[in-house]
Amino acid sequence: MSLGEILRSIFINIRENKTKVFLTTLGIIVGSLTIVLVMAIGNGSQASVEEQFKRLNVGTLYIMPAFGRKKASLKLGIDDMEAIAEEVASISKVSMVINGNANINFYGKSTSSFVTGVMADYNGINNLELEYGEFISEDHSNERFAVIGYELAKLLFEDEEISNPVGEKIIINGKRFEIIGVLKYLGNSERGFNPDEGVFIPYEVAQRYITGKNPGPMIMTLAKDINHIDSAIDEITTVLQKRYGDKSDQFMIRDAGSSLESARNSARTMTLMLLSVATVVLIVGGIGIMNVLFVSVKERTKEIGILKAIGARRKDILRIFLLEAIIISAIGGILGIILSMAAMPILNYFNVRAINTMFGYLLAFGFSVLIGTFFGYYPAAKAASLRPIDALNYE
Amino acid sequence: MNDNVIYMKDIEKSYKMGKNKLTVLKGISLEIKKGEFVAVLGPSGSGKSTLMNIIGCIDVADSGEYILSGQNIKAKNEDELAYIRNKEIGFIFQKFNLLSKYTAEHNVAFPLLLRGMNKREAHQKARKVLENVGLGDRINHKPLELSGGQQQRVSIARALIGEPNILLADEPTGALDTKTGAEILNMFVELNKQGNTIVMITHDLEVAKHAGRIINVVDGEILDR
Repeated sequence: MSLGEILRSIFINIRENKTKVFLTTLGIIVGSLTIVLVMAIGNGSQASVEEQFKRLNVGTLYIMPAFGRKKASLKLGIDDMEAIAEEVASISKVSMVINGNANINFYGKSTSSFVTGVMADYNGINNLELEYGEFISEDHSNERFAVIGYELAKLLFEDEEISNPVGEKIIINGKRFEIIGVLKYLGNSERGFNPDEGVFIPYEVAQRYITGKNPGPMIMTLAKDINHIDSAIDEITTVLQKRYGDKSDQFMIRDAGSSLESARNSARTMTLMLLSVATVVLIVGGIGIMNVLFVSVKERTKEIGILKAIGARRKDILRIFLLEAIIISAIGGILGIILSMAAMPILNYFNVRAINTMFGYLLAFGFSVLIGTFFGYYPAAKAASLRPIDALNYE
Repeated sequence: MNDNVIYMKDIEKSYKMGKNKLTVLKGISLEIKKGEFVAVLGPSGSGKSTLMNIIGCIDVADSGEYILSGQNIKAKNEDELAYIRNKEIGFIFQKFNLLSKYTAEHNVAFPLLLRGMNKREAHQKARKVLENVGLGDRINHKPLELSGGQQQRVSIARALIGEPNILLADEPTGALDTKTGAEILNMFVELNKQGNTIVMITHDLEVAKHAGRIINVVDGEILDR
């Protein structure tokens, strides 16, 4: 029997059993939908991670007061930074960093914002780009200059129709600061705050005016390259031990590369976990197909007998049933993919970041067909192996 | 012996019924020549249906020799038997055994489609055969939209389309009223006149009388006359 004829009889059968076929397909539809969505959500979260870290140098190192077990009594200072800059050969840039909250005023407008005191190298470590003006440089250490984030600039100046606020004066915690730069829009960031809404001022100035219960200053530095991260950590540890002895354990050193790696890993782990759930759903769907096919073989036993009596070979019967299973699951796979496209706006509505990919579609489709083939084979083989006399006499 | 379409020698067949062995055919020997119209007559339980299944190659004998159109059936595997059923035998069943999802034309075309003939050719031929059995206006009806007599004509058309060596009919009038049954029997007589070899299984002597020769089967044996 030609493939065309086999397909024709399969489609006649599907047409005559629409409801049953739909119910069979349901498991596959859900399974395929799950796979596409899981892949999409996994991609979304991985993309978020990449985006958060995209401006961060992998070689970035933080030296900060250890939080947790002990209350840190020691604070890092500029002398520590200078010692590190001098003695550690594996680093290229270094900056003090101090964080705090402050009230920002511009004429009638007032907002609370995150203020970071930094040194000139900070920009080099974090790859910040400027929309207008310039970043804080070494000459500014005692100037009341401020570089503000894109969103903050918008908030403060949009209504005043000031597009380039460089040169404007804002009030930070009661002190007048001159804006010397505006950062480009960044989007999400891993830095624990959003630079788009933040303010950067010279470190020494920040120490004077911005104080609070925040953890003490930290030192941010950049390893020469990825291969120097470990040696940089070792050397910094040595410097701290030389300076503080036993108490050097009040400080800790963190590297951005490993936090990027762990964020990537957890995104990947989540994808894998969800994917295995989707696989289970598909397998359950496959078992559903197998069940329905068994029932179908039983219901169509007489038909199989007739076909065999008029000359159908085992091969013909096997193909009819197996191809039917494959076609049904392929249809289910495609319907699942279509549904997943429809589900995207819903996910977005709930702020779940999901990115559909061709790979996700292919995976879902491939898996659906594979499941259909796998679970369709046994019932099909059973149908093919029926003895014509038994099948024909089946009532 | 060369013009024998069917040659059977000492055919035996038994079934297991729990612990007991039930011997249904106890050494059947028969010959049917090309162009004959033979009725196999026997009461229910005589083994005539088993005999017909073996003749039709949908069941195989336990022992004995069966040669159909010069081919030894015992040596054939399942797929070869399927090929023989398709080529050599045209089945006509008591309950028609049409495929209910397909139109009359598609049902009739099926044996040719199974041979791999293309759809257009097979359907064209099916329409012609349906016209020959008087159903030219019913080709697109599904079996359940047809009367019993019409369904049996479709099944005769299906049996004829492959130009088999034997038409094998199992109680072809069993599900029909007397008048329709008579029409079908007359059709068989006519088909026989055109040269078709017909083997008809029946329990009804009146039906069997239409045939040129009657083989009586009682208790799994052929009754000599």
